[in-house]
Amino acid sequence: MTEFDAIYYDGRTSARNPVRVRAAGELLHIAGASLAIDIPLTTARVDPPLPGMPRALRFGDGASLHTDDKAAIDALFPPPGRVHALAQALESRWLYALGGIAVVVAFGAWCIVYGLPLAAAVAARFVPQEAERSLGEHALATIDRTLCRASASTPARREAVLADFRMLTAGTAGADHYRLELRQCRGIGPNAFALPGGIVVVTDQLLRVLPDDAQVSAVLAHEIGHVAHRHALRGALQAAGAAALVSAVAGDAVSITSLAATVPTMLLQRGYSRRFEDEADTFAFAKLEQVGISPHAFAQALTALERAHPASQAGRESAMDYLSTHPATARRIARALKAD
Amino acid sequence: MAEIGVVASAGPEVVDARRGAESAPPLEGGVPPDETRQTYPVLFTGRAGEYFRIWIVNLALTIVTFGVYSAWAKVRKRRYLYGHTRVADEGFEYRAKPLPILVGRLIALAGLAAIVAADTLVPALAANPLLRRLVFLVVLAIAGPWIVVRSLRFNARNTAYRNVRFRFAGRYVDGLKIVAVYCWLPLFPIAYPRFKRRVVEFGAENHFYGGTRFSLLDAFRTPFVNAYAIAYGWTFLVLLVYAIGVAYYASIHVKWAIVPLALALYVGFGLGIAFIRARTVNAIWNNLRVGGVRFTSSLRARDLIALYASNVVVLVLTLGLATPWAVVRVHRYRASKTTMIASGSLDEFVQAEADHVGAAGEEIGEMLDFDISL
Repeated sequence: MTEFDAIYYDGRTSARNPVRVRAAGELLHIAGASLAIDIPLTTARVDPPLPGMPRALRFGDGASLHTDDKAAIDALFPPPGRVHALAQALESRWLYALGGIAVVVAFGAWCIVYGLPLAAAVAARFVPQEAERSLGEHALATIDRTLCRASASTPARREAVLADFRMLTAGTAGADHYRLELRQCRGIGPNAFALPGGIVVVTDQLLRVLPDDAQVSAVLAHEIGHVAHRHALRGALQAAGAAALVSAVAGDAVSITSLAATVPTMLLQRGYSRRFEDEADTFAFAKLEQVGISPHAFAQALTALERAHPASQAGRESAMDYLSTHPATARRIARALKAD
Repeated sequence: MAEIGVVASAGPEVVDARRGAESAPPLEGGVPPDETRQTYPVLFTGRAGEYFRIWIVNLALTIVTFGVYSAWAKVRKRRYLYGHTRVADEGFEYRAKPLPILVGRLIALAGLAAIVAADTLVPALAANPLLRRLVFLVVLAIAGPWIVVRSLRFNARNTAYRNVRFRFAGRYVDGLKIVAVYCWLPLFPIAYPRFKRRVVEFGAENHFYGGTRFSLLDAFRTPFVNAYAIAYGWTFLVLLVYAIGVAYYASIHVKWAIVPLALALYVGFGLGIAFIRARTVNAIWNNLRVGGVRFTSSLRARDLIALYASNVVVLVLTLGLATPWAVVRVHRYRASKTTMIASGSLDEFVQAEADHVGAAGEEIGEMLDFDISL
């Protein structure tokens, strides 16, 4: 016979009734200051237990019993559902919690290194080219409004670069959507960048720093690599995925500290864009070889650009490598020379 | 929505004092009016270590089951947090079943996928950013109130204290009306606090504890809107200082100087957010009434900013593994700043009529009822 103290709530009011409960056969005798009830044991359901909390019994008529006497409940009722029993068993030991950490960390790492880039690449296939192109057009319009004006390079130079661009894109899938835009831009110096959908923008300053057309072609090939691999789109998709991942782990605390979520997301982005640069470099090496330009031109272009950007210094490998959007230049030059 | 959620789930949170009772003239015959008045502190008894094990195990199970278990995980975590929020020797109960939560999540996922698909696959949207923004605003205006009302109803129905359920009686059309009245808001964002005030009133006054309706005294309005006004002024000041700083550093060509400036900007915004949070939560709970029960809430912005800042640092350093610790800290702080004051007995709240329906009716209601809030 099992006996225990409990609080009885009849389910109709919030009245709290301290009672003594006695289990006899198939009946629970509940007795308190102003009540005495018998309830069949079979009409009672037990809530799955949680650490530090009283156990609750619920009856068909909406009444409930709350008790701190866990041993009595365990003696009277079989453990609740298999799922809850499993969760409870796992939650009760630090050893299993360590296993949980291992699973979570391994999954997180896998997502970051393989899962997200893979998912983004797959998802990108479902995004139609038109959508990507119109994104690019809007980006270009914004740039033209805020930063850039029409190119002031000589017509001869522009023609030469355009011809090289056409030669480099010829034979690439969707080549007719590739477009080169020459611009004179404030504040971004000698630069080239690819917009979603196929627009490649090159600044006048870059043409000045690289008087050799072969070197310009090397830069163009790199940017075409970004376009061919749809890096802008995949980057945006990966950013969304990274944000979702961070909120899946820290989601419970994110409403408290949404600022905390931005830092890791930002760091992840940096790592990804570095991978994109490597991918675009690889594309460029192959392309240059195909059109008969030595990868040395690529190395020379990087060296010249490095010199023109006083802020970035060569040889900042190691840790800085992971924090910067472009891999350290020395490493890229080495890759270019190896590709020869 | 998180803030409404707090009011909504009226469960594991706060309480204030009845201004009326305090300033009421003494009753004739010299009987003190507060003879039966009793103050109950709100206690949070959850422990970080315990909650961590629950959290990590349920997260791992969620991963192993490709997300299916997430609904079960939510129920277990909520039950722990609610149950360890205790007033007058009794904890709150979270009674939701996992399946309706899973259904709700699938519906939400489908809705999200539909939006993303429409956004990327309909060329007219991609080609016209103005149209795109308009379409999204309209979708948000129509779906937003539905989602909010749904999840308030679900959460209230599945929250109980002393075996008496909470209930949310707000209707979708009423939510839609608020949106319709404030549809010009995107044009005049300065009116946001008034909109927010209206939403809070809608959320609070449609809640019931059993058959007893919550009410929000009009006195809540002034401090609520003022909190926003002060925070807006503060934000303006922060931006001004930031702009001046940027201009100054640009003139002396010190590139890295932008780092402390950006940091100051973050801290400034953080202070503003903490201030709004502390003041609005206090304004709401100090003016909330249900039967003879009122609450006091005395959150302080400086406590919150210290709490948030330390949480951010620890979360980043532990790659998010300290989430349970952060959650427990915030719950403990909120509980410690909250009390419930009851004039009269807590025994006399009556379960709502609707909840007397048998178990079968309940199950059917549950199948049609799902939690959309993620």
